[in-house]
Amino acid sequence: MSGRTRETIAFYLFMLPWIVGILALYVVPLGASVVLSFTNWDLFSSPQWVGLRNYSSLLAGEGSNFWLALRNTAYYAAILVPVNLALSVAFALLLNQPIVLRRWFRTAFYLPSTIPIVAVVMLWSWLLAPSGIVNSLLSVVGVDGPAWLVDPDRVKDGLIIMGVWQLGGGVVLFLAALQGIPRYLYEATMLDGAGAWRRFRSITVPMLSPIILFNLINGIIGALQVFTQVYVVTQGHNAGALMMVPFLYENAFEFNKMGYASAIAVLLFLMIMALTVVVLRWSRRWVYYEGEVS
Amino acid sequence: MASPSKALPAARPPDMPGPAGGTSRRRLGPRLSQRIPVYPVLLFGTALMVLPLLWMVSTSLASTKYVTTFPPKLFPDTFEFANYARIFSDTDLGRYLFNSVVIVIPSMIGQVVASSFAGYALARLRAPGRRIWFVVTLATLMIPYEATIVPTFVTFQYLGWINTFWPLIVPQLFGSGYSIFLMRQFIMQIPTEYDEAARLDGLGYFGIWRRIIVPLSVPALATVAIFTFTFQWGNFLGPLIYINDPDKYPLALGLYAMTQTSNVGQTPDWNLIMAGGMLLTIPMVMVYFFGQRFLYEGGNALGQIRV
Repeated sequence: MSGRTRETIAFYLFMLPWIVGILALYVVPLGASVVLSFTNWDLFSSPQWVGLRNYSSLLAGEGSNFWLALRNTAYYAAILVPVNLALSVAFALLLNQPIVLRRWFRTAFYLPSTIPIVAVVMLWSWLLAPSGIVNSLLSVVGVDGPAWLVDPDRVKDGLIIMGVWQLGGGVVLFLAALQGIPRYLYEATMLDGAGAWRRFRSITVPMLSPIILFNLINGIIGALQVFTQVYVVTQGHNAGALMMVPFLYENAFEFNKMGYASAIAVLLFLMIMALTVVVLRWSRRWVYYEGEVS
Repeated sequence: MASPSKALPAARPPDMPGPAGGTSRRRLGPRLSQRIPVYPVLLFGTALMVLPLLWMVSTSLASTKYVTTFPPKLFPDTFEFANYARIFSDTDLGRYLFNSVVIVIPSMIGQVVASSFAGYALARLRAPGRRIWFVVTLATLMIPYEATIVPTFVTFQYLGWINTFWPLIVPQLFGSGYSIFLMRQFIMQIPTEYDEAARLDGLGYFGIWRRIIVPLSVPALATVAIFTFTFQWGNFLGPLIYINDPDKYPLALGLYAMTQTSNVGQTPDWNLIMAGGMLLTIPMVMVYFFGQRFLYEGGNALGQIRV
């Protein structure tokens, strides 16, 4: 047996678990989701082919909450993602200053992002309870606090507060990126008489832009797929916080509508892909890659 | 958004100082710190981050009578350390903790071994199809979990795995796109001379993996283990779908169930729930605390992406 053949065999032996995983956990289920989305199936009787009916009834909003779930999810993502991005950059800039106890400050910002979501929700349900500490503090300044996690008009805001509290992962990434910006870039623009704002705009933002893009895409994908927070807060029974994956969950695992749920999954997948492509295309206008030949 | 100035140099001139690592304190004219009150803003932000945590700790130590007082106070008059004994005697959290450990440990071992195998193959072994498998590995990162959830559930139900830990553990035994990508990037930084020397000493591919690659990629292996722990320890949706038997709940789901079983209208025992929250939180914080140096080295491999 030649060395080449032996190396090929070794490659495929080392890859074997992952190749099985790719097929069993990704390729086959993804294909099955698409096929199931054209059927009506309650898990007990055999699936019935219904063509595009699941999709048409979803998009027509007939007796379903598809558009409500989409609207709620869009609201959640549209506020949480930009707010987290802006605050992460701002706090990373501050934490990058020569301050005393810098490591302690950084730890304080990172700590909440390491806490499991179920514990985060337990904590904030307690803080945001109608007579909890947040509303007590608000009443001190004369504001009548809402029933944050109960009121359908407010529950999304409560979920957004929890999301903002966990922004530490982004702060750490931006801090690492800030420390990679060569100092001479700032020195060169200083010689040209650039002020602080000008330096931020012309050096810091372009040099951070690949990380901004990374956080933006991850943030959008994560927000569109939010489940645990929503479910633990509402058990899926608050129309104000019905979002895409909880909507999928209730159809699949409470109503046993497997075909219908698969159609939701396929639509959500397509939306995520489309949005990612749009953001990536848009990013060509503002992301700067060092060493890129233009 | 600002477009980068075309005058930015593409590579660092040789006589310039290196990246600012935080040690150089050369003045750069008016600093950010002279324009914004850095400390007040940072202290305010820190308070928003830390006070809720302190509140969790203090509530977990409060007496049951105390937690129902209104308006709430930040610190209880007496500390009830017995709450932490009560969550093991009066609730099932001890059993849930045990279940979590039983699920998490094989998951970590499986992820580490499978990712290290595939990462080694993709980084080192030349074979037809290697590039395609690498691209496919990256493509799996773009498939959202809910896109496969229904068929996966149907399959596990068909196998009779409902109410067992298998649906939670088995998917972790194949590796994952992210772990494998991280391992591959890290292994590519290890000089190939080590492999050559080991081969001259008569080691085969498995021997090279075992004696060269594994010992030299400990930070990446630790990073994969930490990420797997993080995912599996906090995993809620998986147990919610697959486990209905309360005896088999892992901690995250069990803690949630605890808040649901209190009768309607009755306030749950917030002090015990917060103590349970601490039980869920402390292992995670410890893992990050002791693992951060590995995370830093392991994560650095991702910073030098060469596809």
